[in-house]
Amino acid sequence: MPVAASAIYFLNLRGDVLINRLYRDDVGGNMVDAFRTHIMQTKELGTCPVRQIGGCSFFYMRISNVYIVIVVSSNANVACAFKFVVEAVALFKSYFGGAFDEDAIRNNFVLIYELLDEIMDFGYPQNLSPEILKLYITQEGVRSPFSSKPTDRPVPNATLQVTGAVGWRREGLVYKKNEVFLDIVESVNLLMSSKGSVLRCDVTGKILMKCFLSGMPDLKLGLNDKIGLEKESQLKSRPTKSGKTIELDDVTFHQCVNLTRFNSEKTVSFVPPDGEFELMKYRITEGVNLPFRVLPTIKELGRTRMEVNVKIKSVFGAKMFALGVVIKIPVPKQTAKTSFQVTSGRAKYNASIDCLVWKIRKFPGQTEPTMSAEVELISTMAEKKSWTRPPIQMEFQVPMFTASGLRVRFLKVWEKSGYNTVEWVRYITKAGSYEIRLAS
Amino acid sequence: MAPPAQAHRSPSPSQPSGKGEVSDLKSQLRQLAGSRAPGIDDSKRELFKKVISYMTIGIDVSAVFGEMVMCSATSDIVLKKMCYLYVGNYAKVNPDLALLTINFLQRDCKDEDPMIRGLALRSLCSLRVANLVEYLVGPLGLGLKDNNSYVRTVAVIGVLKLYHISAPTCIDADFPPTLKHLMLNDPDPQVVANCLSALQEIWSLEASTSEEASREREALISKPVIYYLLNRIKEFSEWAQCLVLELVAKYVPLDSNEIFDIMNLLEDRLQHANGAVVLSTIKVFLHLTLSMTDVHQQVYERIKAPLLTLVSSGSPEQSYAVLSHLHILVMRAPFIFASDYKHFYCQYNEPSYVKKLKLEMLTAVANESNTYEIVTELCEYAANVDIPIARESIRAVGKIALQQYDVNAIVDRLLQFLEMEKDYVTAEALVLVKDLLRKYPQWSHDCIAVVGSISSQNVQEPKAKAALIWMLGEYSQDMQDAPYILESLTENWEEEPSAEVRLHLLTAVMKCFFKRPPETQKVLGAALAAGLADFHQDVHDRALFYHRLLQYNVSVAERVVNPPKQAVSVFADTQSSEIKDRIFDEFNSLSVVYQKPSYMFTDKDYRGPFEFSDELGNLSIAAESADNVVPAQGVEANDKDLLLSTSEKEEIRGATFNVSGYSAPLYDSSAASVQSELAIISSTSAGSAPSSSLAIDDLLGLGLSAAPAPEPASVPPSLKLNSKAILDPGTFQQKWRQLPISLSQVYLPFLTLILF
Repeated sequence: MPVAASAIYFLNLRGDVLINRLYRDDVGGNMVDAFRTHIMQTKELGTCPVRQIGGCSFFYMRISNVYIVIVVSSNANVACAFKFVVEAVALFKSYFGGAFDEDAIRNNFVLIYELLDEIMDFGYPQNLSPEILKLYITQEGVRSPFSSKPTDRPVPNATLQVTGAVGWRREGLVYKKNEVFLDIVESVNLLMSSKGSVLRCDVTGKILMKCFLSGMPDLKLGLNDKIGLEKESQLKSRPTKSGKTIELDDVTFHQCVNLTRFNSEKTVSFVPPDGEFELMKYRITEGVNLPFRVLPTIKELGRTRMEVNVKIKSVFGAKMFALGVVIKIPVPKQTAKTSFQVTSGRAKYNASIDCLVWKIRKFPGQTEPTMSAEVELISTMAEKKSWTRPPIQMEFQVPMFTASGLRVRFLKVWEKSGYNTVEWVRYITKAGSYEIRLAS
Repeated sequence: MAPPAQAHRSPSPSQPSGKGEVSDLKSQLRQLAGSRAPGIDDSKRELFKKVISYMTIGIDVSAVFGEMVMCSATSDIVLKKMCYLYVGNYAKVNPDLALLTINFLQRDCKDEDPMIRGLALRSLCSLRVANLVEYLVGPLGLGLKDNNSYVRTVAVIGVLKLYHISAPTCIDADFPPTLKHLMLNDPDPQVVANCLSALQEIWSLEASTSEEASREREALISKPVIYYLLNRIKEFSEWAQCLVLELVAKYVPLDSNEIFDIMNLLEDRLQHANGAVVLSTIKVFLHLTLSMTDVHQQVYERIKAPLLTLVSSGSPEQSYAVLSHLHILVMRAPFIFASDYKHFYCQYNEPSYVKKLKLEMLTAVANESNTYEIVTELCEYAANVDIPIARESIRAVGKIALQQYDVNAIVDRLLQFLEMEKDYVTAEALVLVKDLLRKYPQWSHDCIAVVGSISSQNVQEPKAKAALIWMLGEYSQDMQDAPYILESLTENWEEEPSAEVRLHLLTAVMKCFFKRPPETQKVLGAALAAGLADFHQDVHDRALFYHRLLQYNVSVAERVVNPPKQAVSVFADTQSSEIKDRIFDEFNSLSVVYQKPSYMFTDKDYRGPFEFSDELGNLSIAAESADNVVPAQGVEANDKDLLLSTSEKEEIRGATFNVSGYSAPLYDSSAASVQSELAIISSTSAGSAPSSSLAIDDLLGLGLSAAPAPEPASVPPSLKLNSKAILDPGTFQQKWRQLPISLSQVYLPFLTLILF
């Protein structure tokens, strides 16, 4: 069995039960106490998200200030259980309109109980698609189409949709203006050695889509990925146009994408769900354009003084800007005093994370601001070698830039009524885990 | 079966006891029950909400059961749902009152709104009161035939619920055959999926008593059913796909064409956004190709990319789940992943459970071409703030050193660790140097020079201290100060808390005595005297043994204590290959995360000291005492103990426990550790596990008949996989062959690997 969850609990950080749903009788009612005493009140918390206590296994996840705990008594499918939690949270968020935290749960607990009933029955996951659930579980409940105004929307139709073949889209949608928004969001991960060589670098990207389209449209998306382009030139028997092509290491798609067609024709074609969804995810390891180069030098001058110099080079187009750039340069715990000189942005010492934090709100391309800082340390005898030199970490967002070089070549919308659509495409690259190690 | 939570849980002190509130609610509900005023539903809703919220925080509100039922006559669907929830929670402890609800639930089961029919049916089946089951059969039968698919999905699960309340009622009502019919004919995929879940559960549980049920269970993995489900796979929800794929993984195809057909059909599932679906597909691929060596290897190549993507996306918990699976694959076929070692580099902020797995994988994939990079990277982690991870990475360096031929550079690194002047680094490095010396005695010269400079005062951890003492004894001829260090250690005999260290000290002094008698004689006397007076049985016995041995004949004693030693070529593996295969068979489940087969954590007999009890306080003590047992278990015979100490403590505990539990369930895990250690060795040496297909069957509990399910005499022509797939089997195979195969020269080890 993939998951026959016996119970699901929502706890706050103190361990109080916000909501619980017991799906099966095969676990005792004091399961949550076991979780509290053996996981929450020990150092175990955070050491492993799967724990066995007695005959039961606990899967837990922390999301903002809430722990979600699934209890199973059999040899369950772990990936499935976590995915279920993630999907359930996404579903709740789409109902609450954003945040998922303790307050949101308290304010919506009746709704959550309703949803928990529908998304899982006797421990088996059922339907988690917000699009469909929203047809029959509405926030106003009583204003639900079935109970008060059954004439508005015929009942059988709606329930048929619950389990229908195109489970992610209902029929008969009408928009005055047909629009599609595409967001290509990439996060670039870097691990740079202290000698300046790239140890590991990859990009995980996703294409987010927001559709406001009438009827049952068929969409086709073309990217500048290598395989797709090759296939296309094969089909049209003409050479590939010059220009950069991207080699995707791996792609995964939303369930709406016709995978058979992707495998044969290498085109992404699909009937999209209404509203917002994640169309695809991809991973690239070759030919990544790093938006920033970081050149740090740290000199320890004796026992109580350090000199920190950091130069950041932006290597994207001069017309582009990075936003919200934050560079965190670690310093020893016993830092007493710091003084800075920066050519751009502002820097300060943050004692709670033991870092010099240098912020640059708007960072143009092809520039290289520097920061030099002097750090004075309290001299201690005991901790002479305890500074482990954690890596420099960086946060940023670069709009209209993709670290992978991926571009949308076309997005075709076809619907039998033949309406016109407006398509919007945005690109943004964010820092995933961008780490530069320091020489020791 | 345990009672529902709320009934027995006393409210925690921070929460109101709720007595006053409950009686308050009671009277308010009473007022509303009969009223038909407009807007009454809204005030009812507020009250119901209050009741539910009390219920959630653990206040017993079963006292208002009657009033809740009276208020349930409403058309408001939200009110109904709250009422159903309440009733479901308390019916079990109030069976008499539950009878009151039957009426309105049965009425709702015939409502014209399918939503209400479904909800009522679900609640009816959730009452869990044994003497009410007679009321379930009728509505369930109607529900299964309902023309609305929502009601049918609910009814199918309802049958399963009924089975758990009263199995005979469910069987007598002939529900399982009905479910089977639905499974094979219902147009709605969710109904089909639920039928499959229900039937799997019912027939597995029935199989022990009924021949027919076990036949039926096997029929589920017969060709017609599997093909039917596979042909509809794209209609199913992602969760149902996992369910179906799990079933397909158990199917044994007739020939390789069938295997390729299935793989061809499922290949696109590897691109599914849901990691659970991808993992299930991988399981199918791996299990189908077990007997086809070359294709099996191609499967590894094919699934690498999707797995690595899954690891790098999603929450840490999700990537941990995937990483555990990647881990088991890396361990089975390390060379296939050798070029991907950079994916296993740790990020600074990653949780330690992720780092730990990555370290193990880095260790496993190290080969001639990447060792340098990997060891360099591991040395970075040795300075990590996270001390367990720092330790783990030093151990990893040591493990790589033990599995490589060219250890030059690695030995230098280890010696550098010794000079880092961090207690835990020194401790781990000492243990490793000891293991290295046992495998590569030729390095003794370099190592001893460094080890000799370490002050024994700076080494506190028993394991490290024991290692240091072992080296002092073994190489006393090369270490100037050895007798004197041993002497000072012996002087502090009383202060030494660890029996393990004292045992090693005894042996080291003996060894030293035979190498440098004049300098050691005095120490030997002191050590033997202290040993004889020791309160620890093992220490006492060993001292007595040495004493008598020396009395009997000194040259015999020398031969016993200082025999010519052979370098250890391979250190014993702590986990038997049989266990590893079991885990592999249970791919995509908890077994992989726990790294032990499911019987060890689901069977009560194997669970050992972590028994769950109502007195929670006891539990933690039990867990602690289990930890304390470990050192005691570890201090058995001198060299055999060293043999095992390469691996970490936990592994030993796990393995000794596991093996003793597995191979001879009769004996208690805490006793007889010698036997179980021997059992490890014997089971690894005689590790030729039964052929894997048998293991699968066994796993499924199909031990009775290993033969495949009753095969339909002639396969009807309709029984074909949809030809939606774009490639014919021939080209498909061709395509798979084209996938790059890394390191084909290491092909042989792989062969043996998967045969086992």
